[in-house]
Amino acid sequence: MSTPLERGVDMLKSQVDARVESYFSSCTHCGVCAEACLFYTETDDPRYTPIYKTEPLRKVWQQNFTLWGKLSTSLGLSKPMTENDLSDWETLVYDGCSMCSRCTMVCPVGIDIAYLIRKVKEGMAAAGFVPEGLQGASERALKFGSPMGLTSKGLLSAVGQQKKEHDIDIPVDVVGAEYLVMLSSNEVVLYTEFLTAISKIFSAAGITWTVSSKYFEATNTGVQMGDSVIAAQLLERLLEVATELKIKTVVSPECGHAYTTFRWDGPNILGRELPFNVVHIMELLDQLRKDGKLKTTGSFDERLTYHDPCNISRRGGVLEQPRNLLNQVAPNFVEMNDKKEMNWCCGGGGGVSSNERAEPLRLQVFNVKKRQLDELDVTTMVTACSNCRTMLEEGLEENEMDIEVVSITELIADHLA
Amino acid sequence: MFEQLVDGIFWNIALIVFFVGVTWRLITVLVLRSKRIDYSVARNSGVSGAIMANIRGFYPRKEVSGRIRLQVIAGYMFHLGFFVVLFFAAPHVKFIAQNITGFTYMTIPYWGFIVASEIAFAGLILLWLHRLLNPVTRLISKRSDHIATILVFVVMLTGCMALGEASSELRVLHRFSVELLMVYFPFSALMHAFMFIPSRAFTGVLLGRRGVNV
Amino acid sequence: MTGIKDKKSARMRKAVYCCVLSLLFVLAAPLIPYVIDAHAEDVTSSKANKPVALQHPGINLWNDVRQRNEVTQGSSQVKGVDSGILINKTGEDWRRFRMEMLMPYGAYFMAAIVTAIVLFFLLRGKLRLPGGRSGELVCRFTLNQRTAHWFAVGIFWLLGITGLILLYGRFVLIPLLGADGFSITASACKEMHNLIGPLFLLAVLALLVLYIKDNFFNRDDITWITKGGGMFGGHVSAARFNAGEKTWFWLVMIFGFLLCITGLILDFSVFGQGREIMALSHVIHGISALILITVSFGHIYLGTIGVEGTLEGMTTGYVDANWAKSHHDLWYEEMSATAEEQQGIKQSVASSSTKPASSPAGD
Ligand code: SF4
Ligand code: SF4
Repeated sequence: MSTPLERGVDMLKSQVDARVESYFSSCTHCGVCAEACLFYTETDDPRYTPIYKTEPLRKVWQQNFTLWGKLSTSLGLSKPMTENDLSDWETLVYDGCSMCSRCTMVCPVGIDIAYLIRKVKEGMAAAGFVPEGLQGASERALKFGSPMGLTSKGLLSAVGQQKKEHDIDIPVDVVGAEYLVMLSSNEVVLYTEFLTAISKIFSAAGITWTVSSKYFEATNTGVQMGDSVIAAQLLERLLEVATELKIKTVVSPECGHAYTTFRWDGPNILGRELPFNVVHIMELLDQLRKDGKLKTTGSFDERLTYHDPCNISRRGGVLEQPRNLLNQVAPNFVEMNDKKEMNWCCGGGGGVSSNERAEPLRLQVFNVKKRQLDELDVTTMVTACSNCRTMLEEGLEENEMDIEVVSITELIADHLA
Repeated sequence: MFEQLVDGIFWNIALIVFFVGVTWRLITVLVLRSKRIDYSVARNSGVSGAIMANIRGFYPRKEVSGRIRLQVIAGYMFHLGFFVVLFFAAPHVKFIAQNITGFTYMTIPYWGFIVASEIAFAGLILLWLHRLLNPVTRLISKRSDHIATILVFVVMLTGCMALGEASSELRVLHRFSVELLMVYFPFSALMHAFMFIPSRAFTGVLLGRRGVNV
Repeated sequence: MTGIKDKKSARMRKAVYCCVLSLLFVLAAPLIPYVIDAHAEDVTSSKANKPVALQHPGINLWNDVRQRNEVTQGSSQVKGVDSGILINKTGEDWRRFRMEMLMPYGAYFMAAIVTAIVLFFLLRGKLRLPGGRSGELVCRFTLNQRTAHWFAVGIFWLLGITGLILLYGRFVLIPLLGADGFSITASACKEMHNLIGPLFLLAVLALLVLYIKDNFFNRDDITWITKGGGMFGGHVSAARFNAGEKTWFWLVMIFGFLLCITGLILDFSVFGQGREIMALSHVIHGISALILITVSFGHIYLGTIGVEGTLEGMTTGYVDANWAKSHHDLWYEEMSATAEEQQGIKQSVASSSTKPASSPAGD
């Protein structure tokens, strides 16, 4: 049995690829990335500098893949990795990084720091340095299918209740439907209006869709934890369900990392192309709008702004669609100062939201969002990720700010013609 | 004796280490380890993303530019000044023609050379001070960053000493420091001079495929 | 026969004598004014002796060449500044000043100050922080201010050392390196001094912009000065900068700008400045430099080993609250007041946990 350290180091070694080599070789330690990271700007603690969070991986790379490193390691000159090199970084990468990748956008030599941090997490997970909150969530996800411990039974009862309450149709397990809509547990338990909203919109647009009772969970704790094995297991379940139901297009719900995982990272985690298309619900809605299938009426007159979920805009490329939709119904839509691919994170991405230990820090870094909102004087904030929504609501409550957070899908559903 | 070594064998060693080292490291990145392909369906072209990212990287994003003014200004001062002096100063052009390429090209007038080196000096000193004084850069800087900075500074200083062309000792000193720098180059953060291109390209491909404005 | 021959040779001899004498006279003629000059006072004072107006026809020309009476410009085919001047008289004055005044007195001045500092240190020792460290940190200098300071330090000493070598190097380095070695060193120093020089203007301007705000003198400074800055015991109040620091700031400004202006005049002789302006510039340049270098010894002493806890303000940007209270109490009060206003004391008074982390052992 190998020690946690050995497992971690071996995993980190296996993570070194051409990009890692190129990135670490080109970092000049200029510190620019720190100025883009909310965990640094709001705490002024230099340890939250993005590139510093990748230190464990850099050390492994330096000692095993560079000439100087190999030389001094074989001569016994460089300090070998210790368990502390990993354990000390646990809080930095899990509590002090929301994987928002804002740092990636500003690095002068173009280093994708978020990509490196994701790899560090891989090593941490292998060595077992994962916060309890996340560990628990991933165990539940593997066991029940959802990190909140929600089972298919729970889903079915929620669906039944919605159907009854709102007199709507929510197709379950329909073979051959055009779209398979995935859900995050949040949307089943907390923001139930979401199901109602898409149901209304889809029936108005006249498209066939379904949810799966067997595997409905859109989030992927494997990705948050940085454990590719778990991530792949969860993805395989989606593949299984989609094949069974003969689905052509999978719809990612209002959840940031679900979208990037299905659309962009999933195929690479699995190592093969997916047998279906993936769209974000907003891409779909905007497409329906363009095709003339989605017509709205009336307007939402409150002054509102849009919070770009990092994984959907900066990491997902869904930038214009929500704006097109908002412009259709909200005449008083104003933009925040830093927006789109340079938005500020809500603070709860990358598994931070499931990590109770990180809460004080998360609320501290929310300050940046508070400043952005203070400048705007809005009464409503729209977003397209249920995780962001929870984080924003908590942050607003903590700061006693009277701003309502709503989902963009729900806003559209409320104004259906 | 020392002069002959510096002009002869040392120079050849430095040249070989520099070129072989840099090529070897670039090959490591570009050929040996880039088997991986992306299985996701691209929204936009990755190649154009790579090109755009390489261009876009040259100017800071407005969202952070206010916070990194010193790095940007000093960074540009150093790099521009340094390149002008390195490639267009008359003694360098002559040297490169004699020892490497065999042909000469345009040179800048003497005053331009002086102004450029002054700008480069100011930029380098400011960058190094920033590295030492900003808590972030002080924490993340490695020994090799400092060694590289000092080596470049020494090269520039000896070059400046030799400006008078008063004696061959000073010229030899300058050449020797250049040789040290060349030998150190492939194994240090100085590699960023080449590596920034593949780095930006890798990230640019990722963002370009996803349709993110870079 | 012999008689004729003798007569002939006697005449010949006479002619040669005459020639030699007249030649001598011509050669000596320019010296006459010297003699007259030297005795002019005697001559005029002793009225018995009437001055002899013995004028050589070439005397005016020669006086003009040596520029004895006034600065005159001749004309020359060579076009250039001062090319109409054959002999620059001020050059000799300048040389004398440099060799006989600037160098020795500059050296005495520096040695005296260094001795005074050493004596003071031996008598008083390091000024300790009263009450030790509190652990509470106060932000004293911003990153920009610190960068400007150390930028100025770097440039100042690059120029200071090369400049001192050019001025005094011959005494130390010729015995050490030999004449050839010194000539190489001097050439290198001259090039460095000339190239880096203009950057000092940048440094002084940066210091001016970033530090002028708290450096104006006011009434508190008089009390501070009369109490000797607390150097001999007793507490004195001071704001962000005390009168000593303010004086240093203004010295740097005055002599710094003088150094820059004169330095640029000396460095870029393409703007039509003549030798006289250059000589004058050099005189000002040398005096200003020696003053700044000497006073900087005191500044360095007080900033490092002289007073505990001062240096970190300029390196990390933060000082201990006890340091602030004891040396700059008025400033400390002001800082805590604004910090309380911003509640949480986060911005300007940071807790020790946000103290910038020390550099890790890197590779
Ligand atoms: S911005 Fe890029 S180059 Fe600069 S320290 Fe961060 S990762 Fe390194
Ligand atoms: S990904 Fe976001 S939170 Fe993480 S280091 Fe980069 S900027 Fe900071």
